[in-house]
Amino acid sequence: MNKNILYFLFFVFVFSACEKDDICLVDATTPNLILRFYDNANPSTLKNAERLSVWAEGKDTLSTSINISLDSIAIPLNPNTTQTVYHFKRNMVDGNIPNNEYNTLTISYTTEEVYISRSCGFKTIYNNVNITSGTGWIQSYTPTTLTTIDNETSAHVKIFH
Amino acid sequence: MKQAHMLKYFISLCLVITSLSNYAQEKDSTSYKNPYGLRLGIDISKPILGMIDSNSSGLEFVADYRITKNWYIAGEFGTQKEITVEDYTTSTSKGTFFKVGVNYNAYKNLLGMNNEVYVGMRYATSIFDQTLDSYRINTGSDYFVSNTISSSSRSTDLNAHWTEFVTGIKVEAFKNLFLGLGFSYKIMLNLKHPDNFKTLYVPGFNRVFETETGFGFNYTISYTIPFINK
Repeated sequence: MNKNILYFLFFVFVFSACEKDDICLVDATTPNLILRFYDNANPSTLKNAERLSVWAEGKDTLSTSINISLDSIAIPLNPNTTQTVYHFKRNMVDGNIPNNEYNTLTISYTTEEVYISRSCGFKTIYNNVNITSGTGWIQSYTPTTLTTIDNETSAHVKIFH
Repeated sequence: MKQAHMLKYFISLCLVITSLSNYAQEKDSTSYKNPYGLRLGIDISKPILGMIDSNSSGLEFVADYRITKNWYIAGEFGTQKEITVEDYTTSTSKGTFFKVGVNYNAYKNLLGMNNEVYVGMRYATSIFDQTLDSYRINTGSDYFVSNTISSSSRSTDLNAHWTEFVTGIKVEAFKNLFLGLGFSYKIMLNLKHPDNFKTLYVPGFNRVFETETGFGFNYTISYTIPFINK
């Protein structure tokens, strides 16, 4: 009888030591900025940006947007700084270089660190977000300022082109 | 796994010593008196764990006092310092704990034996500090890699209150000297968290699971100072 209890206790210890009770879900972490592309002539209609490539200043093209047709895109902001500059290249005609069109968006913000959980750690939420556009294929966008970006449940900015 | 082997070895040792001591026990009198007294001991698993795992160091003293044939008042007191390394945070908890409660011995001893298979309950409390040593923002992508930020934001005077359900065995290896093996399941009653962070480890409670429950064990060597024999 003693022996059985010993074995039982032994296994309880072993399993209790290995248990991982908490798994981090990606959508709980730092939010991306979500842009949706609309038709400038018909503002309630989504319009794909053709052959779209998006990259942050000094970085490689985002793996989710390499020469692709998209009506929305989620772009990460740099949590280590207070400003991220993004380059957007589209080509509505064909794949030829002379038809490439460019635009930049400069996103300024303040960062706030929020604790989520043991496995997720801290995320950044972005406050006092201000977006300015260079000249190019983006006709207009709304809103130009956001109080906060703290989730990814819906698009943050509408881009008209 | 090294640890598991050690546990196995220890358990075998317990069994061997028990059988030897049982063999050696003499039944010299028909009117055997049970010793009642204060039993004091130390948890040897904490120093051993401290040698294996540099993130853990602690000390725990145990005591119980036999009040009736099967009931004991029991308690533990100790200190613990634990570094908790997670994917995105590293934090250190440090503090003292105190537990008090009762044990019921469910083992029917042969005459002259004082072994225990017990179940019991404790009320426990801890006062501790938790320091967030470093952290890295979870960006959810690897496009922007976040820097590891060294911090030393220390939350002092945190406290916790909890109950424990305990079970275990104690075997009398030599006269009045006991080897014990105990397991506890802990349910948090009240826990204070630091601002914009969480208490991940409480001395005496160990890792705080999502459901605010915890597990613990100890291996004790203890000695009975007999006051009276009944």
